[in-house]
Amino acid sequence: MSVAHDAAAAPDRSEPILVARGVDKTFDRTRALNGASLELRAGEVHGLLGANGAGKSTLSKVISGHVVRDAGEILYKGRPLNLRSTREALEAGIAIVMQETSLAPDLTVLENIFLPELRRPGLLSYGSMRRRAGELLGRLGHEHVLPLDQEVARLSAAQRQLVEIAKALALDADLIIFDEPTASLSPSEVERLFDIMAKLREDGCALIFVSHRLEEVFTITDRVTIMREGATVAASEPTASLGQADVIRHMVGRDIGALYATPGLQDAGSEAPVVFEVEGVATPPVVRNVSFAVRRGEILGLGGLVGAGRSETAEAIFGLRHRTAGTIRVDGREVSPRKPADAVRAGIGFVAEDRRFQSIVPDLSVKENLLLAHLGAHRGFGLGYRSRQAKIDELMEALGLPAERLLDANMLNFSGGMQQKIIIARWLLLEPKVLILDEPTKGVDIGTRQAIYEILRRIAEQDVAVVVISSDFEELLGISERVVVMSDGYSIADLPSAMLDEEKLTLLAAPRTSMARNTELLTRLAQECGGAGFWVLLDEDSLICLNSVVADRTADPGFAAGEARRLQDTRITAALAARAGEGQAAGFVEEPEGLATLLVPIRTRRGHDLGWIGLTLPQGGERPDAAQVKERIEALNAEAG
Amino acid sequence: MQKQVDEGGAGGGKGLGMRLLMRLEVRMLALALIIAVTLSFLSPYFLTQNNIFNILDQSVVIGIVAIGMTFVILTGGIDLSVGSVAGLSGIVLGLALKDYPIPVAILMAVGTGAFVGLVSGVLIGYFGLAAFVVTLGMMAIGRSLAYIFSGQTAISGFPSELSSIVYTTVLGIPTNVLFLGLAYLLAWGYLTHTKGGRTIYAVGSNKEAARAAGLNTLLYSILPYVVSGALAAVAITFSVAQILSVDPLTGNLMELDAIAAVVIGGASLYGGRGTIVGTLIGVLIMVMIRNGLNLLGVSPFWQGSAIGGIIIMALLVERLVRSRSES
Repeated sequence: MSVAHDAAAAPDRSEPILVARGVDKTFDRTRALNGASLELRAGEVHGLLGANGAGKSTLSKVISGHVVRDAGEILYKGRPLNLRSTREALEAGIAIVMQETSLAPDLTVLENIFLPELRRPGLLSYGSMRRRAGELLGRLGHEHVLPLDQEVARLSAAQRQLVEIAKALALDADLIIFDEPTASLSPSEVERLFDIMAKLREDGCALIFVSHRLEEVFTITDRVTIMREGATVAASEPTASLGQADVIRHMVGRDIGALYATPGLQDAGSEAPVVFEVEGVATPPVVRNVSFAVRRGEILGLGGLVGAGRSETAEAIFGLRHRTAGTIRVDGREVSPRKPADAVRAGIGFVAEDRRFQSIVPDLSVKENLLLAHLGAHRGFGLGYRSRQAKIDELMEALGLPAERLLDANMLNFSGGMQQKIIIARWLLLEPKVLILDEPTKGVDIGTRQAIYEILRRIAEQDVAVVVISSDFEELLGISERVVVMSDGYSIADLPSAMLDEEKLTLLAAPRTSMARNTELLTRLAQECGGAGFWVLLDEDSLICLNSVVADRTADPGFAAGEARRLQDTRITAALAARAGEGQAAGFVEEPEGLATLLVPIRTRRGHDLGWIGLTLPQGGERPDAAQVKERIEALNAEAG
Repeated sequence: MQKQVDEGGAGGGKGLGMRLLMRLEVRMLALALIIAVTLSFLSPYFLTQNNIFNILDQSVVIGIVAIGMTFVILTGGIDLSVGSVAGLSGIVLGLALKDYPIPVAILMAVGTGAFVGLVSGVLIGYFGLAAFVVTLGMMAIGRSLAYIFSGQTAISGFPSELSSIVYTTVLGIPTNVLFLGLAYLLAWGYLTHTKGGRTIYAVGSNKEAARAAGLNTLLYSILPYVVSGALAAVAITFSVAQILSVDPLTGNLMELDAIAAVVIGGASLYGGRGTIVGTLIGVLIMVMIRNGLNLLGVSPFWQGSAIGGIIIMALLVERLVRSRSES
């Protein structure tokens, strides 16, 4: 890339701290990295971008010593770096903060921060550890947030991440890799993480930020490197020089719009009968109360942050987890699967998230893997494989799989996409009424992803109720007609995809802990002023209500948390239509019926749009001063954020 | 390799897989032949018709037990209790022969073996206890009961008709050898051509995936232990019929030979890998070595070292082949 070249030629602010060139890595037969490169300077946040399966995580793990590369060269502080273990990486000053943290859940915060020291000989001084931990957390500006003696298992996702960062700092790491650190954080937690990253950057650390959330990348990074299919396609481009469209083009290699088959006939779908209904499902401690319904021929998305309980919900429905409450109906008939075999009999299929451990039987041939669900459903002593032959041929044809590949002895040699197709075919063979897919494109290359989207669309058209779980919000919105949002084990919203975008979905999916602060704000507002407080995202002609607290029933604005409404269908149409822009003096707007509403736009400190906070007051009565209320809202919001 | 990487192993996978499979079975057969040839040079008596019938005859007991052991090991388990179960069933057979007709007595013995296997299987499959520990416990219990039921002495004086299941021939083949062949044929058919057999492989290879696909993993985690217990009793019935006497120590260390035969036969102790044909070859190798060492006049005290060394060698070879095939 020319920009990278210029940067190298120009008098540098600093020498690169890390240079990786021509890195190759092959797992089984999947080529994860194919000549990847990366250059990193001290004192920068370097974005590492790419679609699922582009190799960004693998490259991170090569740098952090989790994965040993097959070929290529890595220079760290000017010297060749050949790591054989994560321990060597830590000793060299390279740390990684991963999505699934590497913390010991039964140890305390303090012990985890100093975990790498536990293997050193000699006695531990808890006193000095405690002092140093205080200093480290102070450096992060969080000295009072983390109880040092708390067991890590009882911390929130954001707190656990903080422990990981402190652990990296305890080792004097100069290079910290953040691998999808925001996947389980609420927007305000993300802000706080970015503050910490900015502080680390000032201290001269080099940070790698791995993500596929573009708006975050534009907020925090200085330069970006983009990967596609294991290779670096754009190296060290200054973030400021790129637009979103450029980044997407590099990531996908083509126009993104073509990736998803357009979900057509949205309105027709809403009249089809409900095939699959889940009501009040609970599996403590993760899933508390989840309900949703899928109509015939519909693809329903189950969205939420990592850790919201989506996979656990699916597993509970399928009989893989013990359910303590809830009813499940297929075609109106109640079913109560206690084990997967029961669910299969009821016409439910489930493509689990972890193919290697939940789906593939490595010692059986590909054909037997394909026929595994058949074997479970087959009544009789023999195999009954032949009875399915015609259907197999048809499926292989439809999925674009060469029939002779069925005879391959080992499915692990297949690419992720091929494996996933076989697993999907395993269920289609049984002609299920309901098919649930958990992260169906995880570890699947971009070409096959498209094929999988087409398959899902086609089976939905064949009247199968399809439920898709995905952490990739863009994918979720692209393939499903409707999205049910989950947060902390509750289903909290059920909205048509057409009304949503990634940012709205992120706000909706925020963990309840962060929502609790907002509820407190709204409660105080509603009670102090005697009306209804709400938090909404506004569009041209519709709104999504994220939260609402009604203290006075007569002031009900006509929508509740998790609901979407057309503006004209609310009770405060005039106020919503007359909403003031930013900086304008806000005032109460009165409806013809008498309700008075004040709307205040809110933003994070970084200027991230968070929608509007509103206060509706009942007819008549005294109106408080609008400017004062606005100030109050802004003050409360700053406190809550 | 480049091509295979790019196309996810198009064409290459099949050839390689087949070759591996071939290698596994061919390697074991080759080992058996090498041992046979070596022994025939070392001892002129080895290749005589008499001795060959001898080897087959000696294969019956361990061969039958090894079938059950193969079932268990395919699920990723182990059954250390087969020797004790054989002893206990043998004592039950001996006691029952005093009061009941032969077929009923045999059924009672086999029932005893199957029941002990069922208990182990439920503890392992339903309660999720470690197979090693459960069958270790059963091993102690079985032997203890054998002593108690027998009154700590040998039982003999059985009706001589019992020996007819060993000493009659059909078309020149002794009935016990014929039974062994039939048992292997049935086991092969079951493991390769029935729902149950394939489920046993799936359970051993990836139990989580098997369960998620709707297979009855509970039933097929338990069944192999029942089969193993029942076959241990069947095996000891042939042994008792031969010597018309049984003592509480009968079947001692039988588990060692059975596990060794299965492992030499190429089965993986992690489950999911192994064939009944391999086990048969493993049994023949074990018996030939024992037979040969006897012919050569090697002290029985050294024979343990020889057998132990072979087991470890077989495991080492499996590990080397496995890691090569996966890299």
